[in-house]
Amino acid sequence: MNITAFDKNMSAIAFAEAGEHDTARQILGENAKKQHAKSPVPAAKSKPYLKTIIFGSMSLSAYYLLFTNEKLVTQVFTMGGWHWVFPVGAAFFFSFIHGAFASNLLSSIGIEAKK
Amino acid sequence: MKKLLIILMFALLPLSLVAQSALAAGGPPKDILKGKITEMNVAERTVVFQKDGTEEMTTLVLGENMKPEDIRLNKKVLISLDKHAAAGNVMKEVSVMFMNLTGSKLLALLVIGLIGGLLSGFIGSGGAFVMTPAMMSLGVPGAVAVASNMCHKFPKAMIGAYKRWKYGQADIKLGMVMAGTAIIGVQIGIEIQKYIMDHFGSAGSNLYISTVFMIVLVFVGGYVFYDAMKLAKGDGKETVSKLALRMQKIQLAPMMHFKTAKVTISAWITVPVGVLTGMLAATIAVGGFIGVPGMIYVVGASAIVASATELIIAFVMGAWGSVQWGLSGLIDIRLSLLLLATSLIGVQLGALGTTYVKDYIIKVVMATTMLIVAVSRGVKIPGYLVDLELTSPIDPGTIALFESISFWSLILALGSAGLIIVVAMVKGMSADRQSKKALAGA
Repeated sequence: MNITAFDKNMSAIAFAEAGEHDTARQILGENAKKQHAKSPVPAAKSKPYLKTIIFGSMSLSAYYLLFTNEKLVTQVFTMGGWHWVFPVGAAFFFSFIHGAFASNLLSSIGIEAKK
Repeated sequence: MKKLLIILMFALLPLSLVAQSALAAGGPPKDILKGKITEMNVAERTVVFQKDGTEEMTTLVLGENMKPEDIRLNKKVLISLDKHAAAGNVMKEVSVMFMNLTGSKLLALLVIGLIGGLLSGFIGSGGAFVMTPAMMSLGVPGAVAVASNMCHKFPKAMIGAYKRWKYGQADIKLGMVMAGTAIIGVQIGIEIQKYIMDHFGSAGSNLYISTVFMIVLVFVGGYVFYDAMKLAKGDGKETVSKLALRMQKIQLAPMMHFKTAKVTISAWITVPVGVLTGMLAATIAVGGFIGVPGMIYVVGASAIVASATELIIAFVMGAWGSVQWGLSGLIDIRLSLLLLATSLIGVQLGALGTTYVKDYIIKVVMATTMLIVAVSRGVKIPGYLVDLELTSPIDPGTIALFESISFWSLILALGSAGLIIVVAMVKGMSADRQSKKALAGA
């Protein structure tokens, strides 16, 4: 037989009225724990503010470095031949740090995928 | 994450071999010179040109239509030579390779990046068809626009594919099979292009591209739209198409099983879909417009799995293309990175958006985009027909009107797709929040 939350609450009340406070608490505590695990609303996760700031500043400084050295960068990156590693490598590098920043940013403002 | 990356990296290794051979076959244009103009003689209409990476100086002659004012000294330029001129050193066009990034151009790139990313994360492809023309209208030379867009596409697709793989939507095996065969298709596509270019010139090639674009987009887009509307009217539950069910019955070895797509199908079916995707990618630069519907209606994957898997294909093909364009040194990394700045946010937003919407919304967005883009290509056809002298000349004003319709319909395609995605996502999210609240309250 399934014992519903209502049954449990009632039995806890019965014990409490009978002066068995500890037993009552035990029953309710167990109840609360179970409900917590089953809850459709997960406990609020701490938002990744720190990660957002770290990746954000990494990405921002990388962008800053690249654009302040614009002339040198465009010159070297477009030499052709094996120099293809520069643009392709840069694209990979930025996608990792800036992608991580974007992911954490979305989580920080509370936009997450449906579970 | 690591596992996915290792798989992707290893998949890229054999592809680099293909890339080597493809380099001889096609890819970036070869009749374009890259370097600096150091001196100009206005009276004789000649310039002294220094090719990139060499000390060698050559003298080039200004073409008939060129003005001395077009020439910028000591700036990196792209020069296209006139192939029909008697001498080999007549210039047809010169363009400054790196435009000055002003505030408004910067903002335009960031906005295009964001919406393009959103679309890409949601329907698996998108953006390229509007980014290249948009960059060109900002003053970027065509080849540089294509190259820089390619270099922004693959990291974006990689992040999008990773996210959607985490949501359990991307089928890596299907993606790899499709990408591998698509590369073969690209080679075939390039050969066809070259044949047309040789026999009918660039107007013929433009006409061919636009016609293929129109036919594919109208037919495939129209069918996807019809299917999406049927689903919207019904209960919105997707069923596997009859064609795909028939295809899955064909028991021709080798059979392939795709776990995430929940499909077992003969390689003889998957391979042609991949080859066609590649051919179309080489022709109209948007392979996803055939790849996603192909995976849905022929292979039998759901719209969510197909659009997620398309991102894997886009990553592999984009990385391969970027290496090629990088080899000829045409990538303006500033443009790629500016697009990436916002598109990496957009693509993740689009990817997580798919977890909130019904499957058919993806089809609605895809069909809307395809049909509006078809208009943008269709209005260009009369101009090409005139170029080929197949019809009588049209008034230049009308041609200009067609050009602006073409450009603005692209913007409209991007804007409306972005709007549908955002609205569907917001609705999905608030419905989800309410059902959670109701559950919590119960």
